[in-house]
This record gives sequence, structure tokens and C-alpha cells, in this order.
Amino acid sequence: MSKDSQMRAAINQKLIEMGERERLKELLRAKLVECGWKDQLKAHCKDVIREKGLEHVTVEDLVTEVTPKGRALVPDSVKKELLQRIRAFLAQHATL
Amino acid sequence: MKMEDMPLSGPDNTRLEALAHDIYSELVEDACLGLCFEVHRAVKQGYFFLDETDQESMKEFEIVDQPGVDIFGQVYNQWKNKECECPNCKRLIAASRFAPHLEKCLGMGRNSSRIANRRLASSNNMSKSESDQEDNDDLNDNDWSYGAEKKTKKRKSDKVFFFKLHIVSINEFFMRIIRLF
Repeated sequence: MSKDSQMRAAINQKLIEMGERERLKELLRAKLVECGWKDQLKAHCKDVIREKGLEHVTVEDLVTEVTPKGRALVPDSVKKELLQRIRAFLAQHATL
Repeated sequence: MKMEDMPLSGPDNTRLEALAHDIYSELVEDACLGLCFEVHRAVKQGYFFLDETDQESMKEFEIVDQPGVDIFGQVYNQWKNKECECPNCKRLIAASRFAPHLEKCLGMGRNSSRIANRRLASSNNMSKSESDQEDNDDLNDNDWSYGAEKKTKKRKSDKVFFFKLHIVSINEFFMRIIRLF
């Protein structure tokens, strides 16, 4: 079990060090804007804010309301593409 | 299908597959968090609801979709066939041709030196004092050029002036010779 967590830490380190994490983040961000995910979530945010009141809304409120919806709304094609990239990275670097 | 396109399988690879999914959901959560920060900041700065306007002004600035008018409901080529009177020659000129006409008519702008030269050439046999005056006219006509051009222009017209002076004196010279006989 500790070996597993060690490997995870090493992979995460590598992802950050090689800049792949940043690239993946940028790719995901662009794809999500492109497919309208961002607009959908913004509309949802508007509902949440109206409900809670403009003055009283906090980042925590938004996170708890938005994250589950955000996870569900990611299109399959985007998810597939991202997973492919991650798998490719793992295949190259995890066996070392 | 390439190797990395397939989900990784086997006892060791199930761990890698789980890891890939974890990384993926971490990235998605990152994106969500980023959006939340963005929205929260927009709310607190007061620009989140800026793009929403009331129904009344939405109606007032609605895009007009009718033939013959632009999106603001105005006739778009209402100035196309207007005619203006030239203050110099009193002719009626189409508005789109007015500026080029005025340039030629008043003898200003880019072609002024060319037009002035033509005028000089046509009045070559006039008296010397008159052509001298026109030369001065050309000299003063630098409203349309920059300071740097002034000097070169002056020098050029000086040359023209001297050249003309020569022609005039040569002409006079010949006239005198002819008169002698």
C-alpha cells in the first residue's frame, strides 16, 4: 500500500516537473470552453447566487454546488481524449 | 488502435488505470475550482450580472431585420446619392467624388505640384513677372506636406526657377539677335 502511494507521488511529481500537468490543464480548459461546459456551469452559478443572495455567497458554496455538476457535464469525448493523454504519459513514465 | 488508446489491463495495470482516472478527476476539479474563483471574484467585484439588462432596453436596442435598412433600422445608403456644390467652380458633385474633385479644383493635395507645373508650362510665354508670382504661389502651397519636405520642395522649385530664367534670357537673347538683323 505504501508502495502504491509512493508511486503516485512520484508520478505526480513527474507530471508537474515535465510541465505535462499544466499542458493537460490548458487542454481541458480550452475543450471545456469550446463545448459550452463553462457557459452551462456559469448559468448554474447564476441560479445559485440568486438563491443565496449576492452578498452572502462564498467560494465554498459555489464549490459544493458546482463541482458535482461540473464533473457530470464533461462531455465523453473530452474525457476520453484526456484519459488517453494521461495513459500515454503513464505508459512512458510509470514503468521506470 | 495504439497501445495507449486501450484501457490498461492486467493486475499491475488496474492500478495505473485507477491512477489515470484519479489524475483526470483532479484536473476536472481544478477546472471547477478555477471557475468558482472566477465567478466569485466577478460577483464580489460586481461585474457578474453586467451582461443582463432589463426587458425594456433589450427591446429598444433590438436588432432590426428588414430589407433596405441596417441593424439599427436606418437607411444605410442615404448619403450615397447626395450632391454637393463645389464652392470653387459651383458645379454639383456627387458626395463620394467631392473630396477628390476639391483637391483638383483648388489645386491642393498630392498632385498640386504637377498641376502647378502644367500651369507654368502653359503660361511659359507669359511675362516673366507673372510666372514669378505663380512660382511663389507654388512655394507657399505646402499646407499639405510635412516640414521635412519643405526644403527639398524649395530647392527643386529654385532649380526650376533658375532654369526658367535661363530660358527666358536665352529667348530674349535670340530675339535680340533676330531684331539685330
